[in-house]
Amino acid sequence: MSKKGESSQLLREFPDFTDTMHSLVAMERIPAGVVEECREAVAMARRFNRTVARSYALELDRRMQEDPTFLPWELVEEANRWGFFTMWIPKLFGGKGWSLSSISPFVEELASECLAITNLIGVHYFGYSILVATWNIRLIDMISREVVEGEREGRPCLVSGAVTEPEAGTDAEEVELLARARVRCHARRVEGGYVVNGRKIFISNGHLSTWHILIAYEDLERPDETMIAFAVKNGMPGFSFGRMEKKMGQKGCPASELVFEDCFIPDENLLVAASQLTGMKRGARELGMQLIDFVVSATRPGVGAMGAGVARGAFELALRFARETEVAGKPLINHEWAQCLLAEMYKNAALARLSYMEANYSNSMYGMAKLLSFKPLYYYNRLIPTSMFDRWMPAANSRQATTAVFRKLVMDGQSDAEARRASGWASLAKVAGTDLGVRNCQLALELMGQAGLRHDRRAEKCLRDAKLLQIYEGTNQLNRLNVFKCLVAPAAPEARAFED
Amino acid sequence: MWPSFPTTKGVMAVLELSEELRLLDGMARDFALNELVEGREERDHYPFAPPSEDLLAKAREVGFFTIFLPEKMGGAAEPVQALCLVLEEVCREDASLGGAIFTVALAQELLRQAGSEKALMRAFAEAASLREAVPAFPSFHNPGDMAPLLVAERGGRGYRLTGSVEYVVLGNVAGKALLPAASAAGGWSLFTVDLEGEGVRVSEPVLSLGLHACPAVDLRLEGVPGTLVGEEGKGQLYFEAAADRLSAASAACSCGVMKGSFDAALEYARQRMQGGREIVNWSEVRMILSSMAVRAKAAEMLVRRAAAAVDGGDPGWELASRAAALLVQEMAVEVTCDGIQILGGNGYMQDYGQEKRFRDAQQLQALLGMVPMRRLRYIRRVVDGESPWS
Repeated sequence: MSKKGESSQLLREFPDFTDTMHSLVAMERIPAGVVEECREAVAMARRFNRTVARSYALELDRRMQEDPTFLPWELVEEANRWGFFTMWIPKLFGGKGWSLSSISPFVEELASECLAITNLIGVHYFGYSILVATWNIRLIDMISREVVEGEREGRPCLVSGAVTEPEAGTDAEEVELLARARVRCHARRVEGGYVVNGRKIFISNGHLSTWHILIAYEDLERPDETMIAFAVKNGMPGFSFGRMEKKMGQKGCPASELVFEDCFIPDENLLVAASQLTGMKRGARELGMQLIDFVVSATRPGVGAMGAGVARGAFELALRFARETEVAGKPLINHEWAQCLLAEMYKNAALARLSYMEANYSNSMYGMAKLLSFKPLYYYNRLIPTSMFDRWMPAANSRQATTAVFRKLVMDGQSDAEARRASGWASLAKVAGTDLGVRNCQLALELMGQAGLRHDRRAEKCLRDAKLLQIYEGTNQLNRLNVFKCLVAPAAPEARAFED
Repeated sequence: MWPSFPTTKGVMAVLELSEELRLLDGMARDFALNELVEGREERDHYPFAPPSEDLLAKAREVGFFTIFLPEKMGGAAEPVQALCLVLEEVCREDASLGGAIFTVALAQELLRQAGSEKALMRAFAEAASLREAVPAFPSFHNPGDMAPLLVAERGGRGYRLTGSVEYVVLGNVAGKALLPAASAAGGWSLFTVDLEGEGVRVSEPVLSLGLHACPAVDLRLEGVPGTLVGEEGKGQLYFEAAADRLSAASAACSCGVMKGSFDAALEYARQRMQGGREIVNWSEVRMILSSMAVRAKAAEMLVRRAAAAVDGGDPGWELASRAAALLVQEMAVEVTCDGIQILGGNGYMQDYGQEKRFRDAQQLQALLGMVPMRRLRYIRRVVDGESPWS
């Protein structure tokens, strides 16, 4: 074997170089323009924090504590005015077309001020990412343009993702578990469409959204093979909002129950049915998992970025406290132990950031948006004004053939190794970032003592908000198992994940 | 049923409860189950819901606020072990009441340390109402960490207090407060202050992380008469002596919260299905539950041993009490975090009680002052020659 061939072989051994060095690999593959976009996104988030979030975060949280049914429409309208709900909608569909890589730094920045406000803005892209992951180009185009229109007219049009059910949270995010899950959201085929019955819970922004991307199952005995996705709009007969949850934190972003009672959903609102996808290289079950992976590979690094943001927010509060407070006769900032504690907190935030950046690179190169990271396409998308796209894209997007081409390109174009890499690193970043986020909040409270416990000093809110990060987008336990399945199990082919 | 020791022999005998303490434990458990479970979520809505003064009155009726006091003052003269048992049982169901009981016990202990038996008598034995029977005190702060913002000036026949005090627990329930203030003698001193007197401004209830139904307020005083407790400038001495005895009691609060969190997590894990079976049957869930159970059991042993050491005046009892508090409070923060995690999304919602335990455990960690300063104080005493070993 030649030396080059031997090196190649060595690099493929566990841990595979390509599985572990995303930023290095990305240096030559990711367009340089992404850096400038990230700078602009962070600057915009800082501006928003200073002018809106900083003064409103505590007031909103307190108000929600007093009245958990309050809906923060004013905030939604403000975020809509800032253009946040269309920034990451591709220009193909009328949006501003920012690269996906810039969303995580943006989210970190927002989260350093308030996680509830961050989630209210960010979770719109969770719903939107499920929509995109179905690659139903006609509906993506239609809903995207409603969001853009809503921004133009000052009528916010948000998208929520409806996945979790009362008896299936973790189960709904992994087909191995889904096969044995107690899901109840059933879609029955009828003439001209489907009749859906069931409930979805913990749906972030449910009450505030216009469109809801609903995951249901055609056969409750075989949910792993019969996953089906719909676009449900407010006002559809049989669809209603249930209760709003009383959460510990992230109160400014409502968690809603969505109720479907004999809700007729016409065929035109069917996004995708795994069992009906034909001519693809994967079967229905694998396509279901790919859809889940497309979504979570994009959104879990975002949750990791929220962890990095709250880790930073807690650090900044602790730093300010240490500078302003005298303890045992001298400024707290001059106590050696306090300096080490602050350094530890800074380190935690930095590690959380490194994790989500690696996951971002991984997702850009191997996830559902990898086409857009292809340099000619990236610059084409970046430099051509939206108005140019609008001249011809809507007509093309409405054709069934466009959907078929995209599905073939994106779904079949992703190898199993790529899916595994993107999903595994997304989970890794999610666990790392959120654990470090919660840890920093606890350290801030230790440092601040009684002052940290007061609502008006902000640190306690950081902790309440941060805890949810370890739960949504798959509990950290599920995500650890996914890290095992995607990144560790290749070294142990005999291992079976999710079977215990 | 919480896993308990079998009939204790040998090394465990020291942890065995006397018959009297068993009775008290049973009574506290009954009280907690009968009075604290129902309405917990509603009470926790304070300050956006009415204060729980009825509950405080019931706790007073059964003697939770006078466990510590000598019989001649109408108290039960029970040892620290008894206080710990009550706090553990109460906090297992609702730590807010535990915070109130602890604060009252701390104020009483400070008065005792200062030799103010007369003040104690006036304050408690002769109290006709709840307002007179519970003193307010900033129990989440060690005035030795940060200099008091309240200043006492001698004038005429007594002292006048001016300045502010943050987070005075029970400050809007009590008629009197025990407050630390800096004075000309150096250091700080303790004063009793009539909260209904002229010049006292009481803030709206402070919204805090945990223990919502254990109300706290900020006070602003302008030339308010204060009665010196003990000797001038000896506040820190009294506080540290009281903290030696009551650190074990603060640990008992956290221990109770841990037990409550584990109980709820286990019950949920037995019922909740995932991947086709109860989550209690997944080995990672068992691992988390095991970690919770082990830490809670260790906390129970630690608190009981530390409290017995305090009551028995064992060599090194002071450090034993403080070590128990530092470790048990830290474990409670970890255990209650896991307690939410076992319940997943439901654990984060107010309906299930786990999020409250998480908040309460974090809040309880700040009892008696900042954690890092308490750690430093502990090791300073060891470095200065106190032996940490029995």
